[in-house]
Amino acid sequence: MQENYLAKWLNGELSEKEVSEFKKSKEYASYLKIANASQDLRAPNFDVNQSWELLQAQNAQKHPKVITISPFKSFLRVAAVIAVLLTGAYFYINTLDDNIKTQLAENKEIILPDNSEILLNAESELSYSEKNWDSKRAIKLEGEAFFKVAKGKKFTVTTDQGTIAVLGTQFNVENRDGFFEVTCFEGLVSVTIDGEEQKLPAGNSIISLNGNITKSQVEINGQPSWLNQESSFKSIPLKYVLAEFQRQHNIEVELKDIDENLLFTGTFSNIDRDLALKSISTPLQIKFKLEGNKVLFYEESAP
Amino acid sequence: MDDHQNVCKESTYSELFHAHSKTIFNYIYYKFGNKEKAHDAVQEAFVKLWENCAKVTPGKAKSYLYTVANNLYLNVIKADKVRLKYADKTLKTIHETPEFIMEENEFKAKLDKALNDLPENQRSTFLLNRIDGKKYAEIAELEGVSIKAIEKRMHLALKTLREKIDGI
Repeated sequence: MQENYLAKWLNGELSEKEVSEFKKSKEYASYLKIANASQDLRAPNFDVNQSWELLQAQNAQKHPKVITISPFKSFLRVAAVIAVLLTGAYFYINTLDDNIKTQLAENKEIILPDNSEILLNAESELSYSEKNWDSKRAIKLEGEAFFKVAKGKKFTVTTDQGTIAVLGTQFNVENRDGFFEVTCFEGLVSVTIDGEEQKLPAGNSIISLNGNITKSQVEINGQPSWLNQESSFKSIPLKYVLAEFQRQHNIEVELKDIDENLLFTGTFSNIDRDLALKSISTPLQIKFKLEGNKVLFYEESAP
Repeated sequence: MDDHQNVCKESTYSELFHAHSKTIFNYIYYKFGNKEKAHDAVQEAFVKLWENCAKVTPGKAKSYLYTVANNLYLNVIKADKVRLKYADKTLKTIHETPEFIMEENEFKAKLDKALNDLPENQRSTFLLNRIDGKKYAEIAELEGVSIKAIEKRMHLALKTLREKIDGI
């Protein structure tokens, strides 16, 4: 007989020969009886449903620990990241200066938090911090703007060519490539160019042309000419005049055989292009040819 | 069992309970003869499974349950007397003579005593096979031993039972 033959016999794994041999043994009857009787044995009752309900009750107490916490944790993690991002973005946006820009042939009016007024001429840009305005009245300017400053703390206008500081007044700043002009219309303006401070009373204008500073009197009719849709010049080289013309009329200017340093005194309209062209060409005794969005100025004698 | 299913899923967990709780109860009862402890073992095993549902795959759940249930009382409690009933069918046979019935009852008492005298491992293995119809391979899996070890237990259990009953 093979090893563990009783187990094999119970499992029906013995060969026929082995079975018949086993049946001949005197113990076989007893084994058969035990095998059959043991199959009829029954374990105590076990109520599956009752046990399941008990288990559910036990697991319910542990439920939050196992199931609910982890999604909640990951939710918190996501929420924390979002909160940090939002807070960061809020503070970042808050520190950004307000930025106002005009396109070619466009003017804008800006009312500051203290009711100071700024009129921004064409192709100009200014920035300031609205949030910190009460503690620091400071403006950065590129291009040209007219300021009506409400009385209060020092009001500064910073440009790359000079700084203007006032307490409460009306003044115009023109800060163009190589051309810097400040005109005071009311009160007293302090202008600093290359570290040198100049006091500018009402009715005076200071011009810096490539670092050459000249002062002049201006007619006081309350506000700069561009606010009346005109551009006025007094002995200003033609290139700056034409640059302003291009800005106001969004037009491309070309010169042929004309000295761009010719001094121009006069006024041109910022609205009527044909009139403006005549206003520029007639006093200089030059001609112009308009083609679409381009204008060519040329000497009268040239073909 | 499909491993894509998660034991943490209520339906999978419930299936596992309904498939195995009764046999785990029996398994522990065969070993220790204590119904209370067997009930507790079922609860304990399934609570542990629920707590670790993320770590235990459905394929491993069965042997996990038996291991937890078995370890719970390992070397802790002494086995009580295992009390087993007989299926009703033997009582329904009405053709037997009184002598036969007496003889039969005597045999049952002997078998009962012999079973209780068996070592825990042999008794639980033998009864899981005889009562619950578990195959040797399945018992080997849940006991964490080889099939051959189970065959050895079955062989020794049957041999010992006969020797006790025949009064050798």
